[in-house]
Amino acid sequence: MGRKLTFEIFRYAPLDPLSKPHMQTFVLEEHPSMTLFIALNMIRETQDATLQFDFCCRAGICGSCGMVINGRPGLACHTQTIDLPDHISLHPLPVFKLLGDLSVDTGTWFRNVGKKIESWIHTSKAFDPAAQEDRMDNDLATKIFELDRCIECGCCVAACGTARMREDFMGATAINRMARFYIDPRDNRTPADFYDLIGDDNGVFGCMGLLACDSVCPKKLPLHDQLGIMRRMVSVESVRGILPEFIRKKLAGSCGCHSKA
Amino acid sequence: MTPRSPASIRSRLDFWQAASGACLALFVLVHLILEGSVVLSPTITDGIGWFLEATYAAQIAAPCIVALILFHFWIAARKFPLRSGELGIFIDHAKALKDPDTWLWLVQVVTAVVILAGAFFHVYTVMTDMPITVQGASQRLHNGWLLFHAVFLPSVILHTGIGIWRLAVKYGFCVKAQRDKWRKCIYIGMGCYLLLGVLALTRVWFQI
Amino acid sequence: MRVFQSDVLCIGAGLAGERVAVEAAQAGFSVICLSVVPPRRSHSSAAMGGMQAALGNSIMGDGDSPEIHFKDTVKGSDWGCDQEVARLFAQTAPIAMREMAWMGVPWSRVVPGEHTYYKGGQPFQATEKTENAGLIHSRAFGGTAKWRTCYTSDGTGHAVLFTLDNRMLQLGVTVHDRMQAEMLIHDGTTCMGCVARDLRTGELVGYFAKGTLIATGGYGRIYRATTNAVICDGGGQIAALETGVVPLGNMEAVQFHPTGTVPTDILVTEGCRGDGGTLLDVNEYRFMPDYEPEKAELASRDVVSRRMTEHMRKGFGVKSPYGEHLWLDIRHLGEKHITTNLREVYDISTHFLGVNPIHQLIPVRPTQHYSMGGIRINKDGHAYGLKGLFAAGEAACWDMHGFNRLGGNSLAETVVSGRIVGGKLVEFLQGYETSFSTEAMRDVMGKVAARIEKVAHGTGEDCYTLRNAMQDVMMEYVGIFRNGKDLETGVTKLQEILERCQNMSLKSRLHAGPNAELSMALRVPGMVKLALCTAYGALKRTESRGAHAREDYPERNDKDWLVRTLAYWKEGDTLPTLKYEPATPFFILPPGDRGYGGGKIIQGNPIPENKLVPFAQGA
Repeated sequence: MGRKLTFEIFRYAPLDPLSKPHMQTFVLEEHPSMTLFIALNMIRETQDATLQFDFCCRAGICGSCGMVINGRPGLACHTQTIDLPDHISLHPLPVFKLLGDLSVDTGTWFRNVGKKIESWIHTSKAFDPAAQEDRMDNDLATKIFELDRCIECGCCVAACGTARMREDFMGATAINRMARFYIDPRDNRTPADFYDLIGDDNGVFGCMGLLACDSVCPKKLPLHDQLGIMRRMVSVESVRGILPEFIRKKLAGSCGCHSKA
Repeated sequence: MTPRSPASIRSRLDFWQAASGACLALFVLVHLILEGSVVLSPTITDGIGWFLEATYAAQIAAPCIVALILFHFWIAARKFPLRSGELGIFIDHAKALKDPDTWLWLVQVVTAVVILAGAFFHVYTVMTDMPITVQGASQRLHNGWLLFHAVFLPSVILHTGIGIWRLAVKYGFCVKAQRDKWRKCIYIGMGCYLLLGVLALTRVWFQI
Repeated sequence: MRVFQSDVLCIGAGLAGERVAVEAAQAGFSVICLSVVPPRRSHSSAAMGGMQAALGNSIMGDGDSPEIHFKDTVKGSDWGCDQEVARLFAQTAPIAMREMAWMGVPWSRVVPGEHTYYKGGQPFQATEKTENAGLIHSRAFGGTAKWRTCYTSDGTGHAVLFTLDNRMLQLGVTVHDRMQAEMLIHDGTTCMGCVARDLRTGELVGYFAKGTLIATGGYGRIYRATTNAVICDGGGQIAALETGVVPLGNMEAVQFHPTGTVPTDILVTEGCRGDGGTLLDVNEYRFMPDYEPEKAELASRDVVSRRMTEHMRKGFGVKSPYGEHLWLDIRHLGEKHITTNLREVYDISTHFLGVNPIHQLIPVRPTQHYSMGGIRINKDGHAYGLKGLFAAGEAACWDMHGFNRLGGNSLAETVVSGRIVGGKLVEFLQGYETSFSTEAMRDVMGKVAARIEKVAHGTGEDCYTLRNAMQDVMMEYVGIFRNGKDLETGVTKLQEILERCQNMSLKSRLHAGPNAELSMALRVPGMVKLALCTAYGALKRTESRGAHAREDYPERNDKDWLVRTLAYWKEGDTLPTLKYEPATPFFILPPGDRGYGGGKIIQGNPIPENKLVPFAQGA
């Protein structure tokens, strides 16, 4: 016999006038290899069909199932109940618009941020179907992919003190995405362009260095290191015309962010 | 691509916050070492005080530092949880998350306010009680300033230590791989400075 | 009532859907994409392996050509594919990969010099050419003569999907996510769009479009054990089937993978067995050598899957709350090997199963993996039966996979067919005008609303019970091993479930806002229909071909069954109407032995001269 797990789950259907935010308790017997994906589906199918939550790949790849598990944002699908105490509290991710219970609208949020930071390769080159592909160093390709691994689950945003207080902060995920384009030679944008897109308190300067983004990232991305690189690059860009150019160049050089300077 | 917008002053604030913070941190570190010399011998301290006064360094530096503190505070305050509900949200967030660095930011906010008020009084009393001597300081301590220093000193050290840590993290000097090492160094550094401060205060207390 | 109008409506925004949307948007057409999840969460993102394209840059892919790729594909399909389409695919694949590189995919690249690679678990040395430095590299996948699978580390699907979605942002393509397409709007000859349910609010939304594309992926969720995401419920296929005029092709062609993990059915790579992993039963006894003395665990995917099923049927399965399973044992490979060469397996086991494969056994069972069948389209992507309806990707039966698809060909198909179908869709739209019938839309709206009303007032079983019943029937009777008796039983049971769906009930109350139960309830009857198409098609196909293995008809029968099944569903029926068409319009590679998998072949009639075509023609 497994443990008896007590789930305390946040319930609220914003569009239903009869609904009020409250916590609801469910009790479930634990099975071996049980994840929150299994547990929540069991609850929905056998105890309460009205419970709303999101899963898709259930393999930690699609980023659908971010939620606050015992106070910390994480992916429900790769959270095993065995790693949790008998009492498990589940809340929807904050910052994002609540759709119902544990389901939040990350899609709209990320789409807006993507548009804001112009999350695409900026190139004037047209595709030539007859030509061989442009060559790229494999180490660089790997580096780009490492930054491209973000699954946009929203955990870093939910764990960020700035994002909690200031709605317009674009969060570590967006800066990480910019860092990905910054090192991509196919993208023609200059530091000045990046400065325009993320050089304010809603962008890279909004970060207060609380590091929670790093500690909750389910993909273990070095989010904060990217924030650091981008912040230095954009800061150096921000004082163009104030600091003497030779000092500025030196600062830019010292942060290894001269690839496009 | 959108046409480049003129660099706004707001976008440069972060740079100035970092730059002023770094200057102040440097000042605090040096200031406390000089003060700490009293542990070795009050004569050295008095000598340093005499030198700084005679060269007018103290008279010029003091108002400058106060101005710099005001400047640093004014810039950094844009991040303060002043708007409605922000402080509550942040405290709830920190409680749920149980992440030390999130709590440290609150420490930074509280110490900032303490330092802003404290620095003004501290500089005012010292400047109106010239010359700078260990004897004078001791007298002030016995006249009720001990309590002030018991709050002010740890606040300054905490704010400076955390500030340096944040600066290193935010600007990517301290990367993930070195983070634990940095954190340890900062904690040890803060400990040492606190110890030095306490020893110095004790020494000054018994000067009379 | 919200109604939207656009030139193109893409139902589904995974790789195939987005690739078509990009093609249409680039040509200046207005595009709306519907997706049940935000596009970047589509199941395309979960494909780790790679995309096959004969670039021939890597040393192990040296000398590769679209023709060799084509031959591998046809052999893989067990001659069930459309050879014209397979050729088109093989020829376009290299261009499509390079195009994705241009868009921003960080493909892994050739690093010149000596490298250690693995084949069948054995390491060997190979030297990459200096002149190919920095070009797109390729890795090995099963059933191919050359290494031609382009990849980005272990996240190809993710990287390509994100790149395409970035391109969508750049082109300003409208995306309506959390939108579930329920029914197509058509007048029997022309498709005019669809009616969808907004999963945020529950309201019905109408979409008019000149061209409608279905790219909703597979329908693996008709099986209980599937590697497919929870959204792979065949929504697009259901919408097409329910028009009554659009057929689904080869629905009986379903691929299983031997090592899906239990309970979450996440795949662990074949590399485990390639490197020396063994399969154990409830007594921790290694049973594969008893069935396959020579190859044991290394026999082909379908053979291993079948033997595992057979052994569990004999009562040697391990009972668990999640159903029966067997064990995969890689403990003897050692910590170093497991945490380096098989790191992905290590991560999946520890993160999702709580099993440490260095010291513990991994629970596995054969798991549904891929649907070769789908909405039957012609080589241009145009669906049979309805003008203005297109399909692409796994949702479609284009048909380049026939009865078995090769690893890396499915992911490649998404962007290759997306590119081709997108181009043809653009051609179709140029100068094309049509009229939209508000009456037709109102009718469909009414039908969907009536379905919702009906289930809200139903008094029978709930959708989960019925779905589980269907999944159990599919696992038990329409699984890996098929025979006439079981399939008959399966079909009868599924018909019975379809009947029970008539009185399906809803446990939750209807109100504005998301309602996952209702979403599922609206899907289940359609899923049962797909299940019936699969089961009935399998029952009628009295041969074994590729993934379709009949115990009572073990031979591949080229004499009678070199055909594609087309399943139609007439309203009110409880069974699909099956029709057949030739598998391929002509032969470049005449039917022969695949060179693996064994099995007997019943030779077909000689192929007439005019049906034999060289590869180069039409290139």
